[in-house]
Amino acid sequence: MKTPWQVMTGGDWLIVICLLGISLSGIAWLATAPGGTRVVVTSGGQTVFSAPLDLPQSVDLDGPLGPTHLVIDDQGVRITDSPCRAKICISMGPARHTGDLLACVPNRILVRIDSPAGGEEPYDLLSR
Amino acid sequence: MTCSAVDPVKLTHARRQVFLAMFIAIAVTLHVLETLLPSPVPWLRLGLANIMTLAALYLYGGRAAWTVSLARVGVGALLLGRLFSPGFWLAAAGAIVATSAMIIVYRVAGRRLSPIGVSAIGAAGHALGQILAARLLVIQHAAIWQIFPLFLLFTIFSGILTGWLAAGLLEQLRQHPAFQPVADAEDSKAAEG
Repeated sequence: MKTPWQVMTGGDWLIVICLLGISLSGIAWLATAPGGTRVVVTSGGQTVFSAPLDLPQSVDLDGPLGPTHLVIDDQGVRITDSPCRAKICISMGPARHTGDLLACVPNRILVRIDSPAGGEEPYDLLSR
Repeated sequence: MTCSAVDPVKLTHARRQVFLAMFIAIAVTLHVLETLLPSPVPWLRLGLANIMTLAALYLYGGRAAWTVSLARVGVGALLLGRLFSPGFWLAAAGAIVATSAMIIVYRVAGRRLSPIGVSAIGAAGHALGQILAARLLVIQHAAIWQIFPLFLLFTIFSGILTGWLAAGLLEQLRQHPAFQPVADAEDSKAAEG
């Protein structure tokens, strides 16, 4: 079997590079988004926890599977322990920019960062 | 298949039906297998079933690709007992956007793209379709778009992987007598026999 590099044509490379460009510029843009000020945790559509981002603390939040451990420090907010199996929420690392999202889908915990105004963040990625 | 007296058009048609049925069966198997493997996030999957959609697209064209991808989503959901559940709509939306995108680029670019490029476009379309469906059905919050760049990055690599596997499969299949014009195939069989 040929290696992927032998199979790929110039057009393939163009597509892959364009898609990588879209993805990486999106990631870079999100990383430079303004820092938020409030941590809001929702579970099943209801807000279960809300705290300022500049006040270091750690807290346990109960989901259907058990407690999800949340730490707020100078890097932002991150999930350090969760009863879910794959621990993807932990590997998502810290969130600190407005609109950032940490989700533990199995434990129904959704952590997001809000701007001072609260509510919806000022932009979304659909804007042209 | 020793049926040299059969009308070549009918034979080609019957072969196409048999192979498409096989493609659907393999696609359903891969889809169900991947879904049953543990993963907390419904959209982080390699999408190996797309190998069969790509094979159908390259060997039989756009309509065959639609047949394989829609049948795969439908039969897969029936087997998993989640027809019309949120997960089903995510899979269906992903498959519809991915299949449309792959057929369009395949028609426009033709031979300038290998299955890897078509698959990468399909994977990106799949990501877009799934996030659109998730935005509307599951997490009704615009913040879901925040995960799109990272999700897209993952799908680019899974798209390259499935496209590469599809290219290998196509290379093997095209050497098979069933995928050569009927008259040639019978000749080659006669030569072998």
